[in-house]
Amino acid sequence: MAVRILLEPCINCGLCRRACPTETIRFFTTGHRTHVVEPAGCIDCDICIPICPEKCIVPDETYVHDPVELAAAKERAKAWAAKQNATRKRIRERAAAAVAAVR
Amino acid sequence: MSKAFAEQIRTLPSKREPAYRPAVLIGPEERDELAAKLGDASNYDLGLLREMVAQDPDNIEFRKALVSGIVSAEYAGIDAFSRKVAEWQQWPVPWELILAMARQTWDEVRHAQLGTELLENYGGKVGEYPDTLAGAPPSEANAAVARGQGAQNETQQAQIMRDPVISLSVTNVALEGAALDLFKGTSELGRRVGDDLMQLVYDYNWADEVTHTAIGDYFVKALCEDNPEQEERALRAHAMFEGMRERLSGQQSSEIREFFAEEIERGTAALGGDGAAR
Repeated sequence: MAVRILLEPCINCGLCRRACPTETIRFFTTGHRTHVVEPAGCIDCDICIPICPEKCIVPDETYVHDPVELAAAKERAKAWAAKQNATRKRIRERAAAAVAAVR
Repeated sequence: MSKAFAEQIRTLPSKREPAYRPAVLIGPEERDELAAKLGDASNYDLGLLREMVAQDPDNIEFRKALVSGIVSAEYAGIDAFSRKVAEWQQWPVPWELILAMARQTWDEVRHAQLGTELLENYGGKVGEYPDTLAGAPPSEANAAVARGQGAQNETQQAQIMRDPVISLSVTNVALEGAALDLFKGTSELGRRVGDDLMQLVYDYNWADEVTHTAIGDYFVKALCEDNPEQEERALRAHAMFEGMRERLSGQQSSEIREFFAEEIERGTAALGGDGAAR
């Protein structure tokens, strides 16, 4: 399974694209102003579904993953998570330093 | 509306009482004041301030700084969208788009009122902290968008940024789309620290931003219908704006790099590099 975006209600806000841990939601390289999921990169994490303000991301139950592609996508997601965690850690540390400086 | 009136509005400076005081232009004395309140002047950053509020909810200056930074952008929104109402009457756009910009102007007024009152609830006032967007010179991202559309000088840059297809792609879709993250996160922060007003105000703003993004997307689609060149301009403006912002935060996506790969290769080759897009 993967997810797909219903093009009619999509407002191209890009929240799903920016939240996707495998960067498998495309916009700029689709040739049109449309957000499209490349299903091979989708790991069914479902991060995109609840954040969509228009509720236009739905499961694509017809898609069957190639196990090799799925494993590669999961590796990309791990790298993405590590990068996100490092960024969050930097922000937390900077904030902690600010809090300490004014106390 | 006469052309002369639209021209006159274009030359009018942005004003507010108290006067705009862009953060990028403050002097050393005010930087010291910011540092005394926030630990460092560079901590006057919305992403960082949210984390500072989360870590020290009792520090009212952190909340005042956060809300000041956001409300400043709302004042900038009033200025920007009300100008579009006047200026776009000279462009071949549907009348409904002018009405939508008028509606959006009033939404920004409401957001500014809500933010101002939230700030006053913390014992602060507008102007106590410098402005984040309002009154500031055109951003690096905006200049890059205009250059990406072929602008050779500042006059051409300003003209391109007034073009409804470019302006809607950048302001309504790319910028307001990104603001959804900010408002959702700030409302969630209010919930986490037990600040019901903060939670409510930014949840309200979030709902409006969804509408603003939808308005922008609807009219960009309408203005680009059956016109692939216009659609390409819209996409390019969006990509350039988002790419610049991502590059400044050090988190540029692989799709943005892919979108500009050919230009990066050309640029690298011109500089004598191997042309490999990174």
